[in-house]
Amino acid sequence: MSMRPPQIVAFGGGGFSMEAGNPLLDDYVLGATGAARPKVCFIPTASGDADHYIVRFYRRFAAVADTSHVSLFRRDKGAGAVEGNLEAHLLQQDLIYVGGGSVLSLLGTWRAHGLDTILKRAWRRGVLLCGLSAGSLCWFAEAITAFHGPPEPVRGLGLLPHSNCVHYDGEATRGEAFRRMVAAGRLREGYAAEDGAALHFEGRELLRVVSSRPNARAYRVSTDGEHQLSVDYLGQPERAALAVA
Amino acid sequence: MADPARTPTILAMGGGGFTASPGDPALDELVLELSGRREPRILFLPTASGDPSEQIAAFHTTFGTRAALATVLSLFRRHGDPRSLREIVLAHDVVYVGGGSMRNLMAIWTAHGLDAVLREAWAAGIVLAGLSAGAMCWFAGGITKSFGPPEPTAGLGFLPGSLSVHADGEPERLPSYLEAVRSGALPGGWAADDGVGLVFRGSDLERVVSARPGTGAVRVDAVGGELVRHRITPDLLGAGPLETRPLPDDIKELRRQRYGRG
Repeated sequence: MSMRPPQIVAFGGGGFSMEAGNPLLDDYVLGATGAARPKVCFIPTASGDADHYIVRFYRRFAAVADTSHVSLFRRDKGAGAVEGNLEAHLLQQDLIYVGGGSVLSLLGTWRAHGLDTILKRAWRRGVLLCGLSAGSLCWFAEAITAFHGPPEPVRGLGLLPHSNCVHYDGEATRGEAFRRMVAAGRLREGYAAEDGAALHFEGRELLRVVSSRPNARAYRVSTDGEHQLSVDYLGQPERAALAVA
Repeated sequence: MADPARTPTILAMGGGGFTASPGDPALDELVLELSGRREPRILFLPTASGDPSEQIAAFHTTFGTRAALATVLSLFRRHGDPRSLREIVLAHDVVYVGGGSMRNLMAIWTAHGLDAVLREAWAAGIVLAGLSAGAMCWFAGGITKSFGPPEPTAGLGFLPGSLSVHADGEPERLPSYLEAVRSGALPGGWAADDGVGLVFRGSDLERVVSARPGTGAVRVDAVGGELVRHRITPDLLGAGPLETRPLPDDIKELRRQRYGRG
């Protein structure tokens, strides 16, 4: 495997889980691997390995990639889930795609299975990591989750030394709580992405922001407030122009 | 809210009940009876299997009309309930935990702080019930197959001993359990067959029951490095199906008023 820098693409929301019929973010991460037919492994832990979610992953990627998925609940033995050496399998991937759900359940289960260490190793070796929602929050040092009741800070794997807020447009209370906690020093400074926007990091630095929707925005959020970032819309430029006009 | 004067109660099943095939209506009935409530409110936690839809459907089929309130608590999907996890749990009389991966169950509960909430619920007299992983979790430890081969793993430790489940249905689990007790990796405890339930009041085993004739449980201890096994013959439960029990008129009326259904 050629030496590739560590990369993470953190969706604010979007991809096949949230944007049926809009292939732009998923195509972007496939392209970012640089592989003609990438090896892509789906990790649906945050959803409890929901069957319908796994099926949708295969529908989206099976034709364009060598696909597999990880089941940590062992309900689907013999149905395509990785069996045997999980670490060896994950380190061979071009792309590891983490689904949405509960970030607390995700992190707890991963730690119980040692997947946190394996994913860190995969990242260092240049396996592209991506995901949405819980699958986006998990890569950061700190994040805000609004799973049970009011928004709360949560500690992630810490591959990226920033904070993160997903669905920044969709949930007003979450965004507001995020800005307040960053301003008060309860959360470190970081990034917020709306549905359709994705933060692409190389190493620990933000490389660029891309989007599957002409108006999806992303922000740097620091103690003095939010600062809009420039976003590259991945669709047709003329459609973007129309949407702005 | 549960009555704080109630005795902490746990029903640990070796297997069986509404999520298993064949089901055991007598065990499902016992779960409700242990609450001592005419209008029991039951909460289902299918966490250990990742909230499979078949378990959730079976729960609603079994308890949807029989219990005053039948709630599923997901730790994977947003439920939109403004109450905290603690408030949701404490608003029930029975917490029923499904089977699956014990390792995942413990890790997820700890991540959500549910271990502390369940201890509070137990102390308040809310009945804690479950099968397989949902039974072993209440003990100091059990035998998990979360990684494939059976191995000992720690539980919440509300009950001082250990538990191994499916003693008849999954025979490969028992040798691991006996070895774990013999070596001291797990404290002494019980191995229960499918369909067998251990009822604890406080930390004392009050009775052993079974919904399936011919099944039983074994008490296992290590004495001076040697295993001592003691077979327990359970009380066989009546097999009266839930749905044929007539509902008293006053209960029907109460439900209409409180929950808008008869």
